[in-house]
Amino acid sequence: MRSSLPLVAVLLLAGFVLSFTASEYTLRLLNMAVIASVAVVGLNFAFGYAGLISLGHAAFVGLGAYTLAILTTQAGWSPWLAAIPAILGTGLVAAALGYPLLRLKGHYLALATLGLNVSFSIVAANWIEVTGGTNGIARIPGLSILGHDLKDERSFLWFGLAVLAVLSVLALAIHGSRIGRAMMAVRDDETAAAMTGINVTGVSVSAFALSAIYAAVAGCLFATHVHFVSPDDFSYAHSITHLAMLIVGGEATVAGAIIGATLLTFLPEWFRIFGDGYLAFFGLMMLAILVFLPTGIMGLLRRWRRAPRPGTAPHGAARS
Amino acid sequence: MSALQATGITKRFGGLLALSEVDLTVDPGEFVALIGPNGAGKSTLLNVLTGLSAPTTGRIALDGRDITRLSTHDRIRAGLGRTFQHGRLFERLSVIENVMVGAANRKGRSEAELRSTAFAQLRRMGLERFADQPISALTYGNRRMVELTRVLACEPRVLLLDEPAAGLNTGEVEDLMARLRAIRAQDKIAIVLIEHNMGMVMRLAERVVVLNFGVKIAEGTPAEVQADPAVLSAYLGEGAAHARH
Repeated sequence: MRSSLPLVAVLLLAGFVLSFTASEYTLRLLNMAVIASVAVVGLNFAFGYAGLISLGHAAFVGLGAYTLAILTTQAGWSPWLAAIPAILGTGLVAAALGYPLLRLKGHYLALATLGLNVSFSIVAANWIEVTGGTNGIARIPGLSILGHDLKDERSFLWFGLAVLAVLSVLALAIHGSRIGRAMMAVRDDETAAAMTGINVTGVSVSAFALSAIYAAVAGCLFATHVHFVSPDDFSYAHSITHLAMLIVGGEATVAGAIIGATLLTFLPEWFRIFGDGYLAFFGLMMLAILVFLPTGIMGLLRRWRRAPRPGTAPHGAARS
Repeated sequence: MSALQATGITKRFGGLLALSEVDLTVDPGEFVALIGPNGAGKSTLLNVLTGLSAPTTGRIALDGRDITRLSTHDRIRAGLGRTFQHGRLFERLSVIENVMVGAANRKGRSEAELRSTAFAQLRRMGLERFADQPISALTYGNRRMVELTRVLACEPRVLLLDEPAAGLNTGEVEDLMARLRAIRAQDKIAIVLIEHNMGMVMRLAERVVVLNFGVKIAEGTPAEVQADPAVLSAYLGEGAAHARH
């Protein structure tokens, strides 16, 4: 249907341009925003397209990050090599968990995935020999491309933006394909989807696994950027933030996922003047968005774009 | 060989016997109407045939192949199609995308082929001007026609229609009947029609099957069924059959 490719291109380009002018502090935040964007574009497969409420997305980010951290620091793998099992392994774990888990719907699925996230945190904090417990894993090596270390914030941002660009284009391609339509059909009406020849379980599990793969990529970026992982980085609170990012961005679009992820990465910093009261402002803002902008920022943009031409009814349809 | 053959279908919900030893045979290209008072088990039979609920006992074969244990989507891929009583569409996809989901059942079609197949189906149903519209822009009647178009895009050999005329106005019912006749002539698919609109049933169906309280009480041509005392008493109550004779 409506493609958000132009908007995604503008957002990524804006990030690239900012990378030349921004302060070190803003660059770091931009990197965090890019990493969150990768995770949230992934969550969009499960929640936005297939309608699966997942409150365990951070667990898959963590699984990717920890796998890379363990393989690099304990087995001495290069981070590039370690990223492969980290990403594919997380996808397989999600698929294996998805089969039993996705029999649940709505609130039940939300609770089960939340439980999954809590379990992940407990294992990460207590399996000390492997995960280092609450001390986490430090000295994770960074990435380097053709001998150039991605040590500084700027070059990491360029790499992050490139990864986000590739993953966004892939997500948009899936959105416009029969697989994407099948996911959205399952979201809108499972019974009618099955009656149209769609394997509902297969499509749901695929969407869940795909979202976990994106989460694992975000986890690998996180681990190689911060060089340190601990259980706190992947608590269920982060899963709720991911979901909030997607809802704020809105309308199950890739551009919305990026806008929401970026906005909610920067907002806590902007609200820092309120000190501990920031959470209250944050909560009120979320409430306001849910009440007044149920389709998120993307819905708002769409309304603005339509507003100048109130007389043009959707008629005579331009086929694309 | 029959296109669809259901034998000895029994469906029990706890203490309620919704279907009892129902047999239904549909020949290739045949037009069968399934009628009966409310609660007779017509929709339950469609649910069992399409795999939405498992029969307590009984066997279902499609083109001679046993599909009793297949999942719903596998039955659809095997050649069964069904519409719902109130029309169920994918609300957040456009009209043509709804139909494209159906067209995607045939593997190996490119995105452009899916779109052109779906558009051809819409044109055949006179819906091409709605192709890029959202579902919310459709009238009730057109929603039901889009649902029919979507199931036709799955290219079924046996099509089960659950009260397709319910809620349609007289003009829309005439249009629906003309389209069903044309579909049958062109695609040579067998149709099983559940319908309360008796005029429609009598004009379209070659054979009528009557259910009452989960039991098949009559079967025959429209004229035979209309004259059947058991049918009259089921619809009009005891005594109606006697009064006529």
